[in-house]
Amino acid sequence: MREGNRASAAADLIAAIARGDRGAFERFYDAHAALAFGLIRRILRDPEAAKEVLQEVFWQVWQDAPSYDPARGSPEAWLVMRAKTRAIDKLRSIRRREQTFVAPVDERVAAAVATRADDPGLAAEDRGLAQGALEQLPGPQRRAIELAFLEGLTQSEIAAKLGEPLGTVKTRIRLGLERLRTAFKVDNT
Amino acid sequence: MSRDELDELAAGYALGALDVEDRARFEALLRADEAARRALRRFEETLVRVAAERPEPPPPEVKAALLARIAASPRAGNGARVVPLHARPRRSVWTVVLAGAMAAGVAAIAVGMAVSSRYEQRLEALGQEARTLKAELDRQASVLAILRDPATQMVALSGQTPSPGAHARMLWHEKAGGLLVAAGLPAPPPGKAYQLWAIAGKSAPVSAGVFTVDPKGTGSLRVPPLPGVSHVDVFAVTLEPEGGVPAPTGAMYLAGKSA
Repeated sequence: MREGNRASAAADLIAAIARGDRGAFERFYDAHAALAFGLIRRILRDPEAAKEVLQEVFWQVWQDAPSYDPARGSPEAWLVMRAKTRAIDKLRSIRRREQTFVAPVDERVAAAVATRADDPGLAAEDRGLAQGALEQLPGPQRRAIELAFLEGLTQSEIAAKLGEPLGTVKTRIRLGLERLRTAFKVDNT
Repeated sequence: MSRDELDELAAGYALGALDVEDRARFEALLRADEAARRALRRFEETLVRVAAERPEPPPPEVKAALLARIAASPRAGNGARVVPLHARPRRSVWTVVLAGAMAAGVAAIAVGMAVSSRYEQRLEALGQEARTLKAELDRQASVLAILRDPATQMVALSGQTPSPGAHARMLWHEKAGGLLVAAGLPAPPPGKAYQLWAIAGKSAPVSAGVFTVDPKGTGSLRVPPLPGVSHVDVFAVTLEPEGGVPAPTGAMYLAGKSA
């Protein structure tokens, strides 16, 4: 019930933002920027890039508020999905640039980058982050979900990377998200 | 489509991890099927909770920059904004000068941002294009792999009563999935689409996806490997509601037996 109230308060803010209410925008930002920024920072290690993406995401909130449709999901989901997409786009563009222009000079740096790409979970632990529900998933499920959610790989890219059949990857992602859904008690509406 | 299969697509879609064809398939379902929309909402809310486990307060300059950006360029099309009309206090020359300087500063920031955001957009458009091309390349590579494998079945489908002139070829590989190429089919009426079925022995037909045809009556469908389906004896195409149905209900337009 409280969840519902919170979501509808946020939906009211989005409606006010759609009418051009800057105060509502500030309130929405204050309440949700840490949620979006936390995710963006998990995807992008570079703090400058993360700040830039956060700004773009909330700029989109300001611009696209009139097209928000509560029937499609909560404002939080609307925001988080945007934050994820933007951050992944940025991650890809940074990687493209690195591949094109910067040959890794220091081999240890290259090795560290490779470790991160091979095991994003390990990297998350490196960053001194507490164990969340995602970290408590069985390894293979967690790995597949992290490669998609935090590294932006498609299911077939994940299958190729892990050397697993595509069907196995699809099943793991489904089972992992189901398990998270149960852990977070996201209701079966 | 089974519940697991729907959830599989919804989970992949929420993560942004579906390959092009699955994405197109799920987007068609989203338009037609409330169950698909519900499944997607559930997984999106789940990802919100995953994100919410690790909030991180952003540095204050982001908010400041956003507010400056908003102040500098009010959103188009919101004429309904209420501007309070109250008497302005008299200002000294210096406040006017200061206000002018601030406005110039804000304008400079806005121009800088507009320029960088234009390049950023261009870069993103190029990135999107590269992703689309890569996905298309992946798709073609996967079709080539099917063609190269001697274990691939090739099945000719011939037109049935509603469309005797139609014909199709189906390539099928139990591990890699398959590809259907059809020609001579009439355009499906609004709200309808063609659905491909794989039938093994005496088991019930398994849906292999829905497709539609272009104005010339040709269409194709890339079929992922079907869980629990290996050798297929018969492929058939029926006309069904747009989002597809779990078991065939409509008229059969194409059918073919494998050798």
